[in-house]
Amino acid sequence: MSANYLVAQDLHKSFNEHKAVNGVSFTIRKREIFGLLGPNGAGKTTTIRMLSTVLEPDQGDVIIGGYSIKREAEEVRNLIGVCPQELALYVELGALDNLLFFGRMAGMSSQEAREQALAHLKLVGLEERAKGRIDKFSGGMKRRVNLAVALMGHPELLFLDEPTVGIDPQSRNNIYETIEGLRDKGMTILYTTHYMEEADRLCDRVAIMDGGQIIAMDTPHELKAQIGSPDRVTLEDVFLKQTGRSLRD
Amino acid sequence: MTKALQIALLQVRIYLQDRGDLGFSLLLPVVTFALMYFVFGGQTQFHATAHIVNEDPGGIYSEAFIEQLDALKELDIDLLSLDKADGKLERADLLMFVVIPEGFSDGLASGEPVELLFKQRGNGGQEQQIVAALVRSVADDISLGLQVQEQVIAALVDTDTTINQIETTVERLLADEQESPTVAVTEEAIGSSPDPVNQFLAGIITMYVLFAIILSARMLVEERHLGTLERLLTTRLSVGQLFAGKYIAGISRGFIQTVILMVLSYAVFQIFTPLSFMSSLLVALVYASAASALGLIIASVARTPDQATWMGVFFTMAMVMISGTFFPIEEGSVMEIISRFSVNTYANDAFRTLINEGGSLGDIGFEIGVLAGVIVVGLLLSRYLFKVMPGGR
Ligand SMILES: Nc1ncnc2c1ncn2[C@@H]1O[C@H](COP(=O)(O)OP(=O)(O)OP(=O)(O)O)[C@@H](O)[C@H]1O
Ligand SMILES: [Mg+2]
Repeated sequence: MSANYLVAQDLHKSFNEHKAVNGVSFTIRKREIFGLLGPNGAGKTTTIRMLSTVLEPDQGDVIIGGYSIKREAEEVRNLIGVCPQELALYVELGALDNLLFFGRMAGMSSQEAREQALAHLKLVGLEERAKGRIDKFSGGMKRRVNLAVALMGHPELLFLDEPTVGIDPQSRNNIYETIEGLRDKGMTILYTTHYMEEADRLCDRVAIMDGGQIIAMDTPHELKAQIGSPDRVTLEDVFLKQTGRSLRD
Repeated sequence: MTKALQIALLQVRIYLQDRGDLGFSLLLPVVTFALMYFVFGGQTQFHATAHIVNEDPGGIYSEAFIEQLDALKELDIDLLSLDKADGKLERADLLMFVVIPEGFSDGLASGEPVELLFKQRGNGGQEQQIVAALVRSVADDISLGLQVQEQVIAALVDTDTTINQIETTVERLLADEQESPTVAVTEEAIGSSPDPVNQFLAGIITMYVLFAIILSARMLVEERHLGTLERLLTTRLSVGQLFAGKYIAGISRGFIQTVILMVLSYAVFQIFTPLSFMSSLLVALVYASAASALGLIIASVARTPDQATWMGVFFTMAMVMISGTFFPIEEGSVMEIISRFSVNTYANDAFRTLINEGGSLGDIGFEIGVLAGVIVVGLLLSRYLFKVMPGGR
């Protein structure tokens, strides 16, 4: 078993008295795909924003690659790549231009940035549309560019916040394959999704969050085994059993 | 530093992508300039049209009269029929016309008095009064010539001199007199300060530069909205570099618009000398920097692009209002003290010193110093506000 790459300890974050994240602790091992599951408003995005140094936790700390997000945020930023839940792209510019720009922001030379950008566009199947403007792209294409941008600079740890939301099976499949390829190359990944079969396929371990807390954490196989035969129950059954059937937002 | 330049470059590229925005912002100074041109006219000399009805067509004296009027550089001649002229006067399409009556030439030739008729609405207006005066003076010239000729003929009637000789000599003398008059009038323009363009150009330039405030006020919020701001904050880009990039982008946009306006003014109105133009460019650059820094303050506190725009517009208007950009402020008045709180005042003073008073950079050290202070305070304050506002760092 390899060493822990990320250690989150007792994270808390409130927005106007509302506890969005309420005492979350977990670890992610190197080269692991770790799934963070939970209903709407569970606190997944808030957790990722703290891990990626955008939000300062009210309490608790996270160590990533040996650096604290509180005291050594700069160093942490050198290690991470973020694919946010909402698209974060310059829509007036082309796909390649977006990648090049974020590559430069990641500290690459223009030559390096170009090589990586082209490679990543190929990875997400958009090499033919490199020059196309983002605002002319379909939802699936935008999602894939959003992911490709996160890969610029070859981060050691990748945060993917619902990267497959609202796209067709083809685009989704491309994203799965991309993620599996990255894991095989040694990347560590934190992944959030509402699609349980997706988490089952991709994740080595998952944590189920609800109301700002982690209520279950194990391998998909173990979680399923706890409520029945792993071959017959699905992760969705586990999820609904853990989080209940009432609506959230 | 290269990251800051990348940020600025990105901003400029986005700006270039948006054809509408680009067209608008480049066209705006051109349109403003065109308005200035039409309002203030491209010329400082009097120029008008004299509307003439010639009821004596083909007459030697009527044709000569029109020819002489046409020779005046102040006048353009518009020949029209009496019906047409009456109609136009009725509709106030023109304010005055001159009628050369039937038999004008014959009358003059036989020494009978003739009359020109000025038909006008009310007093004809200032411009047409001047036209009337010019027409009168040409008529006087003709009548004077004829009188001289008549008297010379009367005096020389008993000598051998032929009438033809007398006529030619008198005509030549009169022509000489017109060519090089005994009492000549020369117009000399000294500087160009009474020109209204100069009065307003400083204000128009400073207002343009102030637009940079609105532009840079929007830049951070727009990225916040797009989500790219948060993404940038997870990269190796420091907030200092981010601010530097936005700051440079704000300067360039405001500055480019101002340069267009200034170049047009230089080319058409010849308000600048090469030296005052270069100095004015420098002031515009310093002022655009101050405006961009002030814009960043708004950018750091505004939560939506609309909020940023309105705060920018309000701030711009307030600065223009209290600075006396478009109306003079009395020295020693309360308004003068208030105006000292507007950055516009200092930029205005600097431009006026350079453009209207022929001053040099040495004369505006104080103003440049104040603007430089605004840049420093603006950058520090905006950086501080970005740190303490939610979602900032
Ligand atoms: N900036 C904010 N200001 C106020 N409340 C917030 C803010 N961000 C999140 N919240 C609240 O915190 C809670 C957790 O939100 P979060 O976005 O982390 O949930 P999530 O698990 O990512 O949900 P989803 O699956 O819908 O993306 C929600 O109740 C949300 O309304
Ligand atoms: Mg979320």
